[in-house]
Amino acid sequence: MIEVKDIKKKFGRRQVLKGVSFTANEGEITCLIGINGVGKTTILNAIMALTPVNSGEILLDGKKVTKESFEKITFIPDAITMIPQMTIAESMEFMDDYYNAWNQKRADELLKFFKLKKEEKISSLSKGNTAKVNLLLGLALDVDYVLMDEPFSGIDIFSREQIADVFTSHLIEGRGVIITTHEISDIEHLIDKVVLLDEGVVLKEFNSEEVRESEGKSVVDVMREVYKA
Amino acid sequence: MSSFLKLTNFEIGRFFKLYVVLIGITILSQLIGLVVVSNGYMDEANNAIFQENLTAQEYVNTYGEMSLLNLTRTLWFFAPIALGVIALLFNIFFVWYRDWFGKNTFIYRLLMLPTARINVYLSKATSIVLMVLGLVAIQVALLPIQGILLKWMVAKDFRLDLTPAEVVLGLRELMIILPNGFIDFLLAYGTGIMAIFIVFTAILFERSFRLKGILFGGIYIALSVGIFLSPVIVQSILNVSYLYPAELLILEIILGVCVSIASIWVANYLLTKSITV
Amino acid sequence: MKVKFNNRDPVYVQVVRHFKEQIATGMLEQGQEVSSRRELASQLKINPNTVQRAFKEMEEQGLIYTEKNSPSKITKDEQVLHRVREELILEAVDTFVTSVRSINVPVDELVELVKEKYAADSKKQGGNIDD
Repeated sequence: MIEVKDIKKKFGRRQVLKGVSFTANEGEITCLIGINGVGKTTILNAIMALTPVNSGEILLDGKKVTKESFEKITFIPDAITMIPQMTIAESMEFMDDYYNAWNQKRADELLKFFKLKKEEKISSLSKGNTAKVNLLLGLALDVDYVLMDEPFSGIDIFSREQIADVFTSHLIEGRGVIITTHEISDIEHLIDKVVLLDEGVVLKEFNSEEVRESEGKSVVDVMREVYKA
Repeated sequence: MSSFLKLTNFEIGRFFKLYVVLIGITILSQLIGLVVVSNGYMDEANNAIFQENLTAQEYVNTYGEMSLLNLTRTLWFFAPIALGVIALLFNIFFVWYRDWFGKNTFIYRLLMLPTARINVYLSKATSIVLMVLGLVAIQVALLPIQGILLKWMVAKDFRLDLTPAEVVLGLRELMIILPNGFIDFLLAYGTGIMAIFIVFTAILFERSFRLKGILFGGIYIALSVGIFLSPVIVQSILNVSYLYPAELLILEIILGVCVSIASIWVANYLLTKSITV
Repeated sequence: MKVKFNNRDPVYVQVVRHFKEQIATGMLEQGQEVSSRRELASQLKINPNTVQRAFKEMEEQGLIYTEKNSPSKITKDEQVLHRVREELILEAVDTFVTSVRSINVPVDELVELVKEKYAADSKKQGGNIDD
């Protein structure tokens, strides 16, 4: 379980996070929703110790994130984390070199799944394919948790469908996933849990299927209520 | 292979193309320079001998012999060295900032590797030191080769053959890069390595606290340099010499090591606690 | 298999309903193996946990059964199968009656209309197949 406990973060004078708390379970897809600039990316960065928080605590399976955690949790930012001059194959070798959790079989499978060519240089890839390589490098790690920042933004519809397919496949099954998005409609049926953010606070945290069952509301319905209030 | 070694190898690989070009420029420029300077010398000598009716001995007595020092005083020789120095100085910053800026965000990957983040810092520093040493080694190897080429191009009567050490001694500027003797070498390069650590840590201050970080970084550099030079500063302010040169040397070495270790320690703290992608 | 889910009913309920329809129309036969949870999730493009929930519900309702270490199968229990069909028909008729009642149509006229419409639709469908 990933526990985010009352984290606060200031950038200069701007209080980006004003005490954010939520949890994300293993085996579930948790979706952080909010318009751009509400600090979704900052939260993910903070979980990965890529930016310090001013107060609060983040626990991964009850422990603080250390270098050992990076064999258990991975982060797929919205830009590629490799050097553009490298080929896909070289990027994969790089990952294999450093991570015990790298699963070459799964990487090859993903390569096929996304119809990517190993020899291609990252700098020559389309936006959609760059996003796919990014996803490949993260998902080929045998980790328990995967964080994804806006996996669907700014790419063509076919790439989007392909990436959505990942979420319903064994590539995700059993892992704890946190994704951020400002566009929920594509993925309403894919997610387990929703965390609605605004102005640096959590407005509501709920299970999407439960809300449909007990209140007959879609995620978008709840968003409408919450954000209008 | 440990992560540190892998990272060092990787960092060198990233700069390698540029590095090879740098080496190529150095070799080409110095060899072409040698040819140009030698031919120039021989032309002048022949002209003078022909017009003024001098013997070779008389010409040499008046205008001096041709030696490698004629080459080392020209831009042919010095420009590529300056270029290398500038490139590697620039690389001290570039090696960090390229990972943050531009289309890629490789710093995410580096900071998410399942290894101590200080390895990233140490590997970047090591890659620069190794590349500096590599260039120096190439220069050391070039000097005797140039000596041999000189023998082919300039007749014995006009030529003064110097050993590489003599060439270096003949040019003060070159002594910084190629110190005479092991202790001098250690001191020059030890100070250089310490400087890299200090600047790296200052860069991490900037990368952690951005605008405010520039101030912190500046203060850090001033403080480190101040501590390192404190014996010299104190003595010059008080205008007395408490220490014998040997004692001063030992004190400086100790201070240098302390400042380096402190830089690594602070960098480790910044990398784990305050770095921001 | 492509199902259009609405956003307001629980997805697992919609999955169960989809299965019931398939059983009632004979697309799924008794004793037939059903896809694994994972396959179904990627076919229907929904969260695997939701599929899991739907399977649990279907097992509780006796629509499917799972023997140790083998894929789930559609029940062979005639009574259950019969009930599924009945339930769907009743549900459809209920909706129909509710919406028609508001127009106040006499039941005889309604039955006639339904018969005509049904015949025409069947013909049209049959015609299409002949093309």
